[in-house]
Amino acid sequence: MLRRTALAASALLVSAALLLSACAGGTTDAPTPTGEPDPDASAVIRLVLEPSNLDIRQTAGAALDQILVDNIYEGLIRRTPEQEIEPALASDWTVSEDGLTYTFDLREGITFHDGQALTPQDVVWSLTTRRDTPAFSDSQRLANVTTITAEGQTITLTLAAPDSTLLWNLTGRAGLIFKEGDTVDYKTAENGTGPFVLDDWRQGDSITFARNDQYWGDTAKVGEVVFAYIPDNQAALNAALAGEVDVVTGFDANLEEQIEADGAYELVLGASTDKGTLAFNQTSGPLADKRVRQAIRQAIDHEGFIEAAASGQTLYGPIPELDPGYEDLSEVAPYDPEAARALLEEAGVEDLTLTLTIPNFYSTTIPQILVSDLNEVGVTLEVDSVDFPTWLTDVYTNHDFDLSYVLHTEARDFENWADPTYYFTYDNAEVQALYKESVAATDPDEAAELLAQAARIVSEDAAADWLFNAASVVAVGTNITGMPSINVNARIDLADLAKSDG
Amino acid sequence: MIRYTLTRLALLLLGLFVASVLIFLTLRVLPGDVAQLIAGTSSTPEQVASIREQLGLDEPLVAQYADWIGGVLRGDLGTSLLTGTSVTEELAEKAQVTIPLGVFALSIALVFSLPLGVISAMRRGRAAGTALSVGSQALAAVPVVWAGMMLVVVFAVWLGWLPAQGFPRAGWSDPSAAVRALILPALTIGIVEGAMLLRFVRSATLQAVGQDYVRTAAAKGLTRDAALIRHGLPNVGLSVVTVLGLQVAGIIVGAVVIEQLFSLPGIGRMLVADVSARDLPKVQGELLALTGFVLIVGFVVDLVHRGLDPRQRETS
Repeated sequence: MLRRTALAASALLVSAALLLSACAGGTTDAPTPTGEPDPDASAVIRLVLEPSNLDIRQTAGAALDQILVDNIYEGLIRRTPEQEIEPALASDWTVSEDGLTYTFDLREGITFHDGQALTPQDVVWSLTTRRDTPAFSDSQRLANVTTITAEGQTITLTLAAPDSTLLWNLTGRAGLIFKEGDTVDYKTAENGTGPFVLDDWRQGDSITFARNDQYWGDTAKVGEVVFAYIPDNQAALNAALAGEVDVVTGFDANLEEQIEADGAYELVLGASTDKGTLAFNQTSGPLADKRVRQAIRQAIDHEGFIEAAASGQTLYGPIPELDPGYEDLSEVAPYDPEAARALLEEAGVEDLTLTLTIPNFYSTTIPQILVSDLNEVGVTLEVDSVDFPTWLTDVYTNHDFDLSYVLHTEARDFENWADPTYYFTYDNAEVQALYKESVAATDPDEAAELLAQAARIVSEDAAADWLFNAASVVAVGTNITGMPSINVNARIDLADLAKSDG
Repeated sequence: MIRYTLTRLALLLLGLFVASVLIFLTLRVLPGDVAQLIAGTSSTPEQVASIREQLGLDEPLVAQYADWIGGVLRGDLGTSLLTGTSVTEELAEKAQVTIPLGVFALSIALVFSLPLGVISAMRRGRAAGTALSVGSQALAAVPVVWAGMMLVVVFAVWLGWLPAQGFPRAGWSDPSAAVRALILPALTIGIVEGAMLLRFVRSATLQAVGQDYVRTAAAKGLTRDAALIRHGLPNVGLSVVTVLGLQVAGIIVGAVVIEQLFSLPGIGRMLVADVSARDLPKVQGELLALTGFVLIVGFVVDLVHRGLDPRQRETS
């Protein structure tokens, strides 16, 4: 009886809370979308994950690329949100017929944030240092480059073998340009060439960029951008409803009605390369049997993840739609618990118990769906929720796991399937050969075609399962324009961001 | 009293030393290290090894401990492996949020728990006393996070009086904004801690009611309430001072949770971030400072308690 009363009481409280939050709409002033853009506006963008330091040369993590690339640091070339490659510090570039020589025309009159001029020698030094410093991230992405030279404003890269991934890699960390011999403390400060300068970093709270008025291109359309790090979605929603943020990234599409209630925000869903990857340790034990892996794939109802997140799309292979080499592979592992049970029986596996190692910052919905789906076909899944450093040690480094879940956000990261030492523990000579061939291809279409072939084999081998291809879920204030919506976990280019004062 | 103080001081120092060893060793048991985190999920073992060497993580444990303690004795708590900033500086910066938050929370807890606790005891068996008792019981059982959410929904989202999260970027140079930012978080901790304190004050008062000296005073002509207030309350006060030490520890734990919930850049949020980044020199400096703080509060409380209680003075 007491329990029932308690239940009734909490139900009442919850509905009261819902009622209160629903009422919220009426009290906040909705911004007028017709207002003129304010060139000195301060725009506040909610982000989830704060970088642990700002040294983009060395410290891994999408949290750094997300804000620093394009806005603070630039490369010779850059990528658009649609993943096209376009000029940046170089006004133009050419690739020789044989794919062995890349020449870039460096723009003149560019200065770093501290006022020093950008020289061709800075470019040569930056790329050479990156390639030759193993502790720097992505240094191996320039491994094919044999010489980097400058003559006038022309930068020339020569290669030992053609590399169809080089231009893309130059739009990432590997291609960022720094000042030679700079003494700046990259961990907490910066000296880039981009349209914004680092104004303030209040650790555990926010990072503020101010407009660089000396920028070589079109200057930014806002005076400053504040990245507010608010890990919890409910807290982010509250901040939005209280009018404290202009843009909410990494949002939960299930909260669409709440955040759109008073007309101050609009929820935007963009494509992304975020792949919810369920890795199988296939070195030994039942998971070494392809039939068992395939059974697990077919036991999982992938639509369930899309429904739970109210966003995203299904993915049945290692390459998402935004990347070259994508094809719809849904026929490889359709949802079919019957077939899954039959495969397990064929493999002679009974009462299978597996452990899923999952970093604790992911939604608990993911393991819940997996436990229930696998239970349907007689597989018991135990969930080991660990913090990320533990995951890095146990799973990534020591390969001590059965199943692992991580959201891989990197674009164009097929290379991991061609690397048998990677934690995916997938070793297929044919895939490795196809990948190598794709890298060496001089025609982009041919390279993509070879990747697609390799990806199909990876999926047919049930080398892993891809639970979903997440969407970038962004709630944008109606007085904000120019906020990118594609792949914002990887990159937020602020060049067009504007805020009207309405 | 001097001898007592010295003994107590020796115990404090011993406590600090033991704490430093425990903190250092427990952190070394945590799996994963900062080099791996820096290198990330597209790194090679060579890359991790080279970062580890660069950060001095390959040195023997004893050398690392000696290094740290040597620094602490010189007043240097250490340096962050990730940002290179001094732990002392970071603590001083974050303390500008956490100390006011703690002081606000404790004041709120005291302001409502002391009078209400006494009233609830004095009105025991009557409607007001029962309501207070049941109310505090219920509030003490409320999870801090839930209490915080409710306050945000009502005061920030619904009424729009106070900010839902965050601390002004201008910090204390904008005092009214800073205070406004801390009201809801402090209320959240204060209410939950205060409810616990209320129950403690109530039972301490009830105990005093039954004491011979209160009955004697009542027999000599004072009303029961007057007897309790004049002769009982000083004793209640003593018991409250003793639990204050524990309350301070409770408030620090509360701050860790609440700073996450309200996105406040304080010591609690920094600590959680540093643990998940495995920035061990920073974490151990922060933990030692917090432990030291709690131990020192306990030390002061003991001395005050002894100073206030004439019975203890006589027996020493």
